[in-house]
Amino acid sequence: MIKNKTIRKKLAPISNNSNGHPIIKMVHVKKSFGDLVVLKDINLEIKKGEVLVVLGPSGSGKSTLIRCINRLEKIEEGEILVDGMDIYSPDMDVHKLRTKVGMVFQQFNLFPHMKVLDNIILSPLKVKRIPKNQAKKEALELLKKVGLDDKFNSYPHELSGGQQQRVAIARALAMNPDVMLFDEVTSALDPELVKGVLETMKELAKMGMTMIVVTHEMGFAKEVADRVIFMDEGYIIEENEPKEIFENPQNPRTQAFISKIL
Amino acid sequence: MVGLGFQIDLFVRILPELLRGAAITIQLTAFSVAIGTLIGLFMGIARISHYKIFSVPSALYVEFIRGTPLLVQIMIVYYGLPALGLNLDQYTSGILALSINSGAYIAEIFKAGIKSIKKGQTEASISLGLNYMQTMRYVILPQATRNILPALGNEFIALLKDSSLVSVIAISELLRRGMIVYSRTYDAWTPLLGVALIYLCITIPLSRAVQYIEKRWEILD
Repeated sequence: MIKNKTIRKKLAPISNNSNGHPIIKMVHVKKSFGDLVVLKDINLEIKKGEVLVVLGPSGSGKSTLIRCINRLEKIEEGEILVDGMDIYSPDMDVHKLRTKVGMVFQQFNLFPHMKVLDNIILSPLKVKRIPKNQAKKEALELLKKVGLDDKFNSYPHELSGGQQQRVAIARALAMNPDVMLFDEVTSALDPELVKGVLETMKELAKMGMTMIVVTHEMGFAKEVADRVIFMDEGYIIEENEPKEIFENPQNPRTQAFISKIL
Repeated sequence: MVGLGFQIDLFVRILPELLRGAAITIQLTAFSVAIGTLIGLFMGIARISHYKIFSVPSALYVEFIRGTPLLVQIMIVYYGLPALGLNLDQYTSGILALSINSGAYIAEIFKAGIKSIKKGQTEASISLGLNYMQTMRYVILPQATRNILPALGNEFIALLKDSSLVSVIAISELLRRGMIVYSRTYDAWTPLLGVALIYLCITIPLSRAVQYIEKRWEILD
C-alpha cells in the first residue's frame, strides 16, 4: 500500500488481498461543503458484478457519495479504494481512474455541439487513443445495445430526453469501465421516457456490470438490485436485500421513507 | 452642389483617396482583432484559472487597459516605448496598441463565454477521463466560441471605429486622409462627412452580419 500524504487521517488498516477483494471500498469517508457535513462516516464495499441501489431523502448525501468515487468531489477523511488502488494516493492517475469508473448524470450532459457518434468516440479517441475506425465501430455496437443505432448522425437536441440519456450511457460504456455510477438518471425525464432508460440499465446489470445507482425508482430497485443501502443525514443507516428493505425496514427513518414512497 | 454645403463633386474627387484610407482602417482592425483574439483567449482562460499566478496578471492587464484611454495607450506605445529602446514604425505601433487594447475586452468576452457553459459539461468531460486541456479544447471552447461570436463581431465594429484614434500617430487611415483633404482644401465639412459616411458603409453591413450569425449559430440543447 502506498502511504497517502494528504491531510486525511487513516482510521483503519485496509486489508487488500487480491483474492476476491471488493471493486470499491470506502472506509470512514467524510466529506463536507464548508460547514455542512454531507458524508459523516461512510463504510461501504461493493463486489464485482454487484448492483447497489442507494436510497434516501434528498440532502442525505447519495449523490455526493457516488461523486466521491470518481473524484468529482474530494473527501476530507477516510479512504476510497477502486480495484484495490487508493484513489487519493499520489501516484494515482485521476484520468485513468475516471476511465475505469463510468458516470451518468441526471441532466445527461451530452456535448450539444457534437453528433451522437462524436459524443461517444471523443474519449476513446483522445484518452485511450484508439484508431478512429475501431472507435466508430465500437460506438455503433454500443448504440445498437441501447437501441439507438439509427441516431448516430443526430445532434443531441434532436433526441428525446430518454434517448439522450441512453446515448449518455453508451458514451460512458465506450471507455469499457469496471464500474458504472448512475446519479438519478431518470429524475429529469418525462414519465413515459423513464422505462427505456431503466430497460437499458437492466440489460447492463444482466451483463454483469458493477453498478451503483442513486434512484427513486423503487420498481427498479426491487427488480434489479442485489443490495440496497438507505442513507440519511450523511450516514448509511440501513443496508439489506431489496425485499427486506422494502417489506421489513428496521430503522424508523427507513420505515417512514418507505411508507411515503410506496 | 447639394444643400448644407456638402460638395458632391469634391467628395467624388477625393473618394479614391478616402477608400485607400478605409482599406488601411479595415486592415489595421482585422490584424488587431486577430491578435487581440489570441491574447483574449489566453487571458480569458488565465482569468478563470484557480492558480493566482495566472489569474492575477490577467486581471491586472484587463483593469489597466479598460481603465485607461485608448489614445493614451497608442501614445505610450508610439512615443513611450522608444524610451525602452523599442522603436516601432507607426503602423506596427498602431496594430500593437489596438491589439493589446482589444485583447483586454476580448478576454472579458471569453471569460463570460466560458463561464456560460454549464458545469455539467466539464463534469461529463472529466468523468470520461479527459484532462483540463482536452476538456477546454474539445468541449468548452467550441461551445463558448459559438456563444461569443456575436460579441466578438461587436468588438470588431467597436475597434474599427476606435482605430480612427491612430490617426494621431500619422497612420494614413480613413480619418487621417479626410484631415489631409481638409488641410488642402480648407473645406472640413465635405471630407469629414464623407469619412463618417464611409465608416457607416462598413459598420452597418457588419452589424447586420453579426445579427445573422447570432441567429444562425445558436446551439440548441
